[in-house]
Amino acid sequence: MKNNRTILKKFEFIGLVIGLLGSAFFLTGPFDSLTVAGHISLAIFWLAAWFYISEPIPVYATSLLVMLLGALLLSKEGPIFINAKPDLYTLSTDSTGIGIVPNSALFNQNSILVYEKGNWRTEPVSISKSTDSESTISFTANTNVPIAANAYTLNSGYEPLSYKTIFGTLANPIIVLFLGGFMLARGAVKYKLDNALTAYLLRPFGKKPAFILFGLILVTAILSAFMSNTATTAMMMTVILPIIAAVPDNDKFKTAIVLSIPVAANIGGIATPIGTPPNAIVVAALAQHKISIPFSDWVIMALPFTLVLLFLAWFLLHTLFKTDLKELNLDVNAKFNKSPKAIFLYFVFGFTILLWFTENLHGIPSGMVAFVPITLLTFGTVLDKNDIHSLSWEVLWLVAGGMSLGMLLDKTGVAVWIIQAIDWSMFNIVIILLVFAVIGWILANFMSHTVTATLLMPLGVSLGVSANLGDSYNVVIATMVIGIATSISMILPISTPPNAIAVATNLVNTKDMAKIGLIIGLIGIPLMLTFAWFYWTLFY
Amino acid sequence: MKSNYYILIIEDEAPVRDAVLRDVEKFENYFPVEAVQSAEEAEELIAAIQNEGGKIALILCDHLLPVKNGVDFLIESMQFPITRHAKKVLVTGQAGHQDTINAVNNAGLDFYVSKPWKTEDFQQVVKKQLTDFVLKEPGLDPIPYMGILDGAKIMDHIRNSGLAADS
Repeated sequence: MKNNRTILKKFEFIGLVIGLLGSAFFLTGPFDSLTVAGHISLAIFWLAAWFYISEPIPVYATSLLVMLLGALLLSKEGPIFINAKPDLYTLSTDSTGIGIVPNSALFNQNSILVYEKGNWRTEPVSISKSTDSESTISFTANTNVPIAANAYTLNSGYEPLSYKTIFGTLANPIIVLFLGGFMLARGAVKYKLDNALTAYLLRPFGKKPAFILFGLILVTAILSAFMSNTATTAMMMTVILPIIAAVPDNDKFKTAIVLSIPVAANIGGIATPIGTPPNAIVVAALAQHKISIPFSDWVIMALPFTLVLLFLAWFLLHTLFKTDLKELNLDVNAKFNKSPKAIFLYFVFGFTILLWFTENLHGIPSGMVAFVPITLLTFGTVLDKNDIHSLSWEVLWLVAGGMSLGMLLDKTGVAVWIIQAIDWSMFNIVIILLVFAVIGWILANFMSHTVTATLLMPLGVSLGVSANLGDSYNVVIATMVIGIATSISMILPISTPPNAIAVATNLVNTKDMAKIGLIIGLIGIPLMLTFAWFYWTLFY
Repeated sequence: MKSNYYILIIEDEAPVRDAVLRDVEKFENYFPVEAVQSAEEAEELIAAIQNEGGKIALILCDHLLPVKNGVDFLIESMQFPITRHAKKVLVTGQAGHQDTINAVNNAGLDFYVSKPWKTEDFQQVVKKQLTDFVLKEPGLDPIPYMGILDGAKIMDHIRNSGLAADS
């Protein structure tokens, strides 16, 4: 353990150093193909990526750092951009599109930066003649166009964001949606609704081990679709530990049961937008592209895949860890709390979920609906101050910082710049999605799922902008594939907190966990792409 | 998974000490066990553990000891930073009524085990005390202790305290 810890410390240190040195290097502006703001943004991305991966500071601290650096270095109110004005040159072209620009206006030697209606775009030009100070270019637009007089000054190619927008992710509707989910989950834990529901839902599954296993998987998945995967796992452990005590020591059913919980919790998180934080990254990335996915649409799209994957998990656990038991007594007797506060909670819970699922009928966005439980549950101290303090605020910060990072990479053009480092035109879109899904899946086995989604999402989204893909690219499919791929990562104890809990019971070993996690991943990824291609495309 | 959290046994009679050692053996992989024969030795050991940056999770202490008695030692242990929050159990047959009251009131005595004991009961006591310790200790992640301690209780704590967050 001690050895292990020093290796981790070493990795933290290496990440810290590479992160800082790399950022410093990018701040010197080494790339002709990147604007000044692009370099700053790349430096922030590099630092964030290494900090997220090696964790010299907690991941949510890195998210906060991203927001702080973004505001200081890239917002129009920050010390760098506060007095920066775009230095414009009016390009006049004749009827054939020929015009003259100062050499300083040439970006990456083959483009100019055009400023139109408060937006920048890069236009490729062909240069016919060059002197020491001026170049004659041909350009498709015909009249007077404002362009950056010097392509490599602060404001060229980047219209600074407000720091209010960068910090605004903290109150983004998807964050509010998660906060609503947290409040409901907190209420469920406080009034033991989750326990009672589990007991109630498990009853019909009888005494046969295979059925019990199926019941556990199903109930865990249902709960984790609304509560955090980790909280669900913790609750289910309190349910199964007594059951397991009745299983003989050498019977493999123990392994099957203990593994079923994290596996089902991880998979269950896929089913709803609030199931697990990577889903928030997906919804946020889509919102940036002006696409809002109603709660029910997400469920309709994701649920069939979730169910198939759960069934696969059940089949694997049940066949790989065969039991000699004929019968097992499920002794779960939790009664529904009938105090007025608890009943109020049930009402709010049901009402909220009803509104979420009927978004297409009433049109109230799920983020707004989420404010119903946030507000109502504070009435009459159904949830008191202590409950509010115990919400996982740092998860919201983690996600919000990830969203801010995506926004910065998008606005400064860095995401597209990174994506264009590879010529994607020779690949089929399905292959590209498969590559992204597999990278996401592999990375998320070793690090935070949210962080993986955060780092990959801006790149995946900008694939669409890279012109080569054209119409075959579907931003909804791409983001969902990347986000959900991270949720299928469950090979190692460190892959997810639910896995860490299962291994800590000492009732399963890492090898068995890896076996199940690997098979689920290897089948799950192609299965997801199949659903994406043939089913999700029916909706978007 | 060796931790820096120790189980400290203070017992002057060798056969009893061996019995205690045997009964806490199964926790030894998680909580290093140290056994001494007197309060004075215990104080030296505590100083040494403190120097190494360790802490005491559980003190299993006899009452009738050579110089300073067990209850006095437990009261005194409230002054050391690394033993103040340790769980304190008297393992004895001879602590009188007044001594015991004294230990409860002034040393925050957590449990009283009277000799002789059954291994199973004793281990339950140790398990419960260690579970309470890991759940109270600031900055200590209780999850790795699930398997050896009261897993259900640890899980209950995790979900009630809001520590159960996805990443």
